Amino acid sequence: MPPDGKIEDGIQKTATRANIFRSQSLRPYLLCVRSSLTAALSLSNFASQATERHNVPEIEAQTSPELLLNPLTISRNENERVLIEPSVNSVRVSIKIKQADEIENILVHKFTRFLTQRAENFEILRRKAVKGYDISFLITNFHTEEMLKHKLVDFVIQFMEDVDKEISEMKLFLNARARFVAESFLTPFD
Amino acid sequence: MLLLDYQNVLIQSLLTERFSGAPPTSIDQVVSDFDGVTFHISTPESKNKIRISMGIKCFKDLLQYGADQQLQKEYGSYITDIEPGYDFTLLVDLDNLPPSAEERESLVKSISLLKRNAMAAPFERAFDEHAEMAKEASKYSSETAPQGIKEGGEVMAIHYREQEAIYIKASHDRVTVIFSTIFTDETDRIFGKVFLQEFVDARRRAIQNAPQVLFRNEAPLELQGIPGFRASAKGEIGYITFVLFPRHITQQRRTDSISHIQTFRDYFHYHIKASKAYIHSRMRRRTADFLQVLNRARPESEEKERKTASGRTFRVQG
Amino acid sequence: MTTTNWRTINVDALDPESSYNFDLSTLTPQLAPVSTSSIQQLGNQVRQQLRSGDAEGALRVALSNPPYGAAAGEGGKDAHLATVVECLQSVKLADVGRVLERVYQGPGGVECLDVLVKYLYKGMAQSTSSTTTNSRPASSQGPGFSQIQARTSVEGGGQAMSVLLSWHEKVIEIAGQGAIIRVMTDRRTV
Repeated sequence: MPPDGKIEDGIQKTATRANIFRSQSLRPYLLCVRSSLTAALSLSNFASQATERHNVPEIEAQTSPELLLNPLTISRNENERVLIEPSVNSVRVSIKIKQADEIENILVHKFTRFLTQRAENFEILRRKAVKGYDISFLITNFHTEEMLKHKLVDFVIQFMEDVDKEISEMKLFLNARARFVAESFLTPFD
Repeated sequence: MLLLDYQNVLIQSLLTERFSGAPPTSIDQVVSDFDGVTFHISTPESKNKIRISMGIKCFKDLLQYGADQQLQKEYGSYITDIEPGYDFTLLVDLDNLPPSAEERESLVKSISLLKRNAMAAPFERAFDEHAEMAKEASKYSSETAPQGIKEGGEVMAIHYREQEAIYIKASHDRVTVIFSTIFTDETDRIFGKVFLQEFVDARRRAIQNAPQVLFRNEAPLELQGIPGFRASAKGEIGYITFVLFPRHITQQRRTDSISHIQTFRDYFHYHIKASKAYIHSRMRRRTADFLQVLNRARPESEEKERKTASGRTFRVQG
Repeated sequence: MTTTNWRTINVDALDPESSYNFDLSTLTPQLAPVSTSSIQQLGNQVRQQLRSGDAEGALRVALSNPPYGAAAGEGGKDAHLATVVECLQSVKLADVGRVLERVYQGPGGVECLDVLVKYLYKGMAQSTSSTTTNSRPASSQGPGFSQIQARTSVEGGGQAMSVLLSWHEKVIEIAGQGAIIRVMTDRRTV
């Protein structure tokens, strides 16, 4: 096996440098998402007025326009943005994760697919992302009743931070491994 | 295990056990190797006679490039009639083994390298061709060289897998080995690109004397106009070119170079798969982390024991 | 037979009694129509103030007269967004808090900041919708070390977004979460 310790050391160093660079614009972005999401998570129980004895997330049903609120978009740049679609009893949060190249693209795709396949464990995770985004959450009034609202917001924020970090690390790992593998194969010829 | 073994470990261990004087037993085993190669090890007549047959997809190609002589040289008297359904068969008589332990060991080694030796034929031929051409070319300056020497020898194609092939071409100053490989999966294709980029860069960065590696999605010029060669339409086939320079194919390094370059395709795909597995396990771990964070949002249902003034406990029904 | 797929017809849309056909305009106050030329006039006025160095006054004028009634599709609203963004960009980052504080304390300050938050979200939503067409980044396949670069975040639109994000942070500090709620619920959109 490649000496993972060595590779990871390198990854750590590069990642820290990248983080210092990134954090400058990351902070206001996450802050904005945090305050917007906190505001949007003011949900109340609301039975469907289209179908008797039903209680559905209005943002998904889209049957009553007066129950839907103005959607909010928060974007850091054209590749990273969050869409918050509030309604009377549910909020849909969609995240577009940064993908700078083909590798990140496939890693994001793999990771979000992995997560959505485990959506039932996550409860608030939507099985399919809203068009134009990589991953979506659907938070209903039942979730906010059962769970602590500020912790739910914490979760979304940490998710955004960690996904980015994870994608970077996976990419760096892949490059490091590729380099190691290539050099090991070619060394016997030297 | 970073690099792949050249020999087939199963055959090696099996024969080592047999040769070291273990009581004879009957064997009937089918062993798979890379590139769809299968071996059949059996004792059809008596327990003392082990028959080893190899089925290899591109045997016809290999025969064309002199695999016959190559194998004859390597195995000589052990070669026997070909078992139906296979391409090449050896027969080892346990009562008639070489006397010394070293010789027996080298026989085991040589049999377990059966696939490698069969595949080596076109490489050997290309290296010989190169040596001849180099001798020929040294008589001329680069301007006056006759056509044949400038262009190099014919391209030898070995279709060792369903849709993949190795092409070998000798010329007076190099031997070019081209692997065509197919990526069935989009992820493999992209991972493969990352890996190959590092192969290409390795020479520039660390290992100056390594063979030059080139990678492209279109067929290289060397392959244009080869009979039976089909260019891929969708770009899912990649072409990896190794340029072996004279220093890689000197007589003493030849054997190792041939063995090593043969493992390239499997080595390459093996590490792509390994990376995918690693990334999958990472995602699994990270997902568990996320779940933990989400579970923090759940208030702990603290069911404190409540007591009455007199010290008796009670439980709320429900 | 026609090829109409009956299953995909939204029957609610055909039912005049359905809540799906609820006329949202009955919820909004009557808005006086604003002509595009008057928006341009206002924009010029604001720009003049900016040139004379009165960013705060310019911002106040721009925010006090949001063209709610501008007809959709004529670019009037977008023109005013450009005016507002121009005001925001002309204020130095260090002065943002001070300017906001004074606007907030001034006449109609609360409404002004609400309108500002509306424009911040609109600004972020807009850059993404206009640039998504070419957002597919080319893969970087340069030689050597180009693969191991950190995932830098200076992408298209990043600069403009960071201005909006830092304003957002400051506005919420001053006006509170309520401003976001009012943006979500206000049917008068900018």
